Amino acid sequence: MPFERILVAIDGSEASNRAFGKALELAALAKADLTALAIEGPLPAYAATIAEVDEVKREKDLFFDALASRAREQAARDGIELTVVVRAGHAAEVISSFAAEGGYDLIVLGHKGHFLRDHLLGSTADRVAEHAACPVMIVR
Amino acid sequence: MSDIAIAALLAGTILIASTVSVEIGLSVALIELLGGFVVGNAFSIDVPSWLSFIGSFAGIVLVFLAGAEVDVPQFRREWRASISIGLVSFFAPFAVVGLLCYYGLGWNHRQAEIGGLALSTTSLAVVYAVLVETGLNRDLVGKRIMSATFVTDIGTVAGLTILFIKPTIWIVPFVAASIALIVGLPRLSPWFFGRYGDRVIEPEIKLVFAILFLLMWLGDRANSQAALPAFVLGLVMSSHYVQHRMEQERMRVVAFAFLTPFFFLKGGMSVSAHALWANLGVLAILFVGKMVPKFGGVYPLARRFTAPHATFTTLLMSTGLTFGTITSLYGLNAGIIDRTKFSLLIAVVILSAIVPTAIAQRFFQPRAGHDRERVGS
Repeated sequence: MPFERILVAIDGSEASNRAFGKALELAALAKADLTALAIEGPLPAYAATIAEVDEVKREKDLFFDALASRAREQAARDGIELTVVVRAGHAAEVISSFAAEGGYDLIVLGHKGHFLRDHLLGSTADRVAEHAACPVMIVR
Repeated sequence: MSDIAIAALLAGTILIASTVSVEIGLSVALIELLGGFVVGNAFSIDVPSWLSFIGSFAGIVLVFLAGAEVDVPQFRREWRASISIGLVSFFAPFAVVGLLCYYGLGWNHRQAEIGGLALSTTSLAVVYAVLVETGLNRDLVGKRIMSATFVTDIGTVAGLTILFIKPTIWIVPFVAASIALIVGLPRLSPWFFGRYGDRVIEPEIKLVFAILFLLMWLGDRANSQAALPAFVLGLVMSSHYVQHRMEQERMRVVAFAFLTPFFFLKGGMSVSAHALWANLGVLAILFVGKMVPKFGGVYPLARRFTAPHATFTTLLMSTGLTFGTITSLYGLNAGIIDRTKFSLLIAVVILSAIVPTAIAQRFFQPRAGHDRERVGS
């Protein structure tokens, strides 16, 4: 079997929804385990009050709970068992290291195409493709 | 510039600070401090008296809110393990920076005490954000770090209230009122909040504000500061706020929408760019003066109580922001330190919020051990 463990990065954007759809198709075809990884952005840096941190954290929790729930429902409709993991940190670093640690043999992620940032810093997809230890499928 | 023109300028700065904070994910307080610094230096504005007044009150409200945010049951469980780290985290930099200011920089003893206090702090909010991000807030290590931070903060507010007292008869009503309110408010609040709460006219917030103003007045008359009673008052009210989250939320809204922006703007406006530029060496000495005793004191204890995250713990305990700003502003308002010393202390406080946190997160952050995994079929 070509792929036994597939990791797909999700963030609720259109690009990531397309990638998630492709990952579901692939997982069904290959009868592979599918994990959806969502990267939580940082909390307010150097906060002066706990309230400021708590508020952003609550917003993030609501967003990622809803994201996980939608992904799970979509996977269930296709008869696929889905594990959803939410991790904090730098997206490209976390995706690459999580895939290596988990022994995934394919990473699927979308490409948002942010013109300025992509040209200055490179996109998340570019950086994952550069650093990942396994094949990377970028869905446009 | 007229008062209303300054108010309009500051209101615009506050608005911009809020939106920038949301866009770039940086604390609004830090941006407000920076905004105040830019506005104050670019327009050469002297801090008007109304801004000083609102800022002073906002500082006490911040202290009260900090007390109300303490997880008291968690502290009760962990205080034995945390007290040594927390006390050393307070006393070591307080003593070292105080002596450094007095003997090394030629500050008088009251100025040296302000310097020591301002740089003894640990930022509860900065620590909390890092712990929540790593998921460590749910581990024993994280709980111990939070409790230790609380102990350090108690040291700072106690120092701020006690060190500068001049013995006058007003100490008696100040202490008596503080004790009466700390004992009485938790007992009064269920009835008062039940009878008058949940209204847009917010009698419960007015009650707290009236009490804080009373403490400020009595503290002022006693040549002291209301930080300690305000913090303890917040602390004894924390369990009430745990059960009435909406009340706490409304209090925060009022504080963060109107009061605290003026506090941080005022802090930034009082920083002199010229003074900083002319004293970069002193700035570096004060920064090292805070970091070295924090490391020398906290690290050996952290190896015992928060292993294997001793360096991470030490770096977090070296952070500071709100209480350092409050202490420095108190020193400036009370005429204890001048604008140059204030500028240096605020710059070190901000550096201590950023540098140890960035190092801790970049090099020593424990891997997130609390994935929120969900399995669906």
